[in-house]
Amino acid sequence: MITFKDLSLVYPNGTPGLKNVNVTINEGEFVVIVGLSGAGKSTFIRSINRMVSPTEGELYVEDENVLDLKGKGLRKLRTKVGMIFQNYNLVNRSSVFKNTISGRLGHTGTLRSIFNLYSKQDKLRAYENLKRVNIEEYIYQRADQLSGGQQQRVSIARVLTQDPKLILADEPVASLDPPTSHQVMQYLKKVNQEDNITTIVNLHFIDMAMEYADRIIGMRDGEVVFDGPVSEVNEKTFEQIYNRPIREDDLRGSDSDDGEE
Amino acid sequence: MAQILPPKPHEKKKRVRNWSIFVILAVIYVWAFKGVYDRSDWSIFNNLGEKFNRVIPKLFNPDWSQTEKVWEYIIETVFIAYAGTLIAAILAVPFGFWAAKNMVKSPIWNTLGKWVLILDRTFPELILAILFVITIGPGPFAGVLTIGLTAFGMLGKLYAEIIESIDMKVVEAMEANGANKMQILFYAIFPQVLPEFLSFALYRFEIDIRASTILGLVGAGGIGTLIVIAAANRNWEQLGLILLGIIVVVSVIDFASTKIRKRLV
Repeated sequence: MITFKDLSLVYPNGTPGLKNVNVTINEGEFVVIVGLSGAGKSTFIRSINRMVSPTEGELYVEDENVLDLKGKGLRKLRTKVGMIFQNYNLVNRSSVFKNTISGRLGHTGTLRSIFNLYSKQDKLRAYENLKRVNIEEYIYQRADQLSGGQQQRVSIARVLTQDPKLILADEPVASLDPPTSHQVMQYLKKVNQEDNITTIVNLHFIDMAMEYADRIIGMRDGEVVFDGPVSEVNEKTFEQIYNRPIREDDLRGSDSDDGEE
Repeated sequence: MAQILPPKPHEKKKRVRNWSIFVILAVIYVWAFKGVYDRSDWSIFNNLGEKFNRVIPKLFNPDWSQTEKVWEYIIETVFIAYAGTLIAAILAVPFGFWAAKNMVKSPIWNTLGKWVLILDRTFPELILAILFVITIGPGPFAGVLTIGLTAFGMLGKLYAEIIESIDMKVVEAMEANGANKMQILFYAIFPQVLPEFLSFALYRFEIDIRASTILGLVGAGGIGTLIVIAAANRNWEQLGLILLGIIVVVSVIDFASTKIRKRLV
């Protein structure tokens, strides 16, 4: 369970990121955060694993106030929280396998990881996770030889290898075409349902949010302006969140186009 | 043909300006060359042909009996360059990180790192060589230290620039999964920079081969030692062989290193 209590964040240059956010996210939920760019979606997500530091309030991840954490404690929190990025953030020159097993870094001693001395169990875990996202045939290829969608799947495998209790995805499909976007979202949803991993995803596409979310949180100017189950959401809700009429480019489009694979 | 480009602005002004610049430059050139012409002592060229005739044919007629000796010194030259570059390539790694903006949080500390490298690059090679010959005595070891220290300044700066150009998003991803600083270094940073480090070290080795051929002029070992002796004795046949040896070795190493570097990056 994740609890935001009156959480605010002001960036060092004075820009407010979050304003008095109060949200509770339950275990196993698939939450999509929507809002225009600059609305604070990224700041919201990155507060949870302290990639940014909120300036006021409290934020509990499993009864632990993450604002108090630093050094080793912070690293321990981050091993429990997987993160997926818009640009996949893989090491281009390293193999798919090495990228995947780097998810174990937080669980592995410094010397063991430097000399690549992973346990057989860890190696198998990495391979299993590559299989889960159907990318195991590329295991020994360099990461930069893969397409965008494939790279994002490797990054999902990396996160799974980390064995997280919670997955944060910061605009995971913004750099992908519509069919690949749906594929990536389907993998995230599958993991969420099969492993009961709480998943929080930033999206700005309305149709995708509606399709995959259990619950939608709408943000504008650093504030939560909507929070409710997806069944309560319609186009009006989004116009309210965005504070303007819905446009064509707020939609990602359907699954039916020809895919890359 | 309806489409006509719009006229360029200030056409006339620009032409006047360009012509004035041309005329002023022409006047300066004429004045300068006239000065050189008037004041030169042209008699030094009188028996130029004769001097060349005495030396050049001998240069092209190498004294093959010296091959073994010359070869020995050339190998020493290559070893000086190799040992020096190796020292520099390793020493430059920590300094490269120190001087890279994205690795050091404090700007003052980071600038200090850059200054250390700049300071090192201000020392001319031969001056350093003379210093080492005086302090630790003549011989190849002085040459190795000279090459090591001069190459280190340049490699450190290049390494820092490579580190500054890496994709920090990978570092972010590793931080987010709980990796510590050491693990980030080995998993996110080294894979991005090591091939480039090696490539620049090889390139520097090419430069150092050439640099170490002249170190012997001040007594710091290598083929330069032989050059000084041969020139002093007017032994042009031996000098010819030395030059030939240097040209062959430098070409071979340049060629090989270019091939290797192409495959690295």
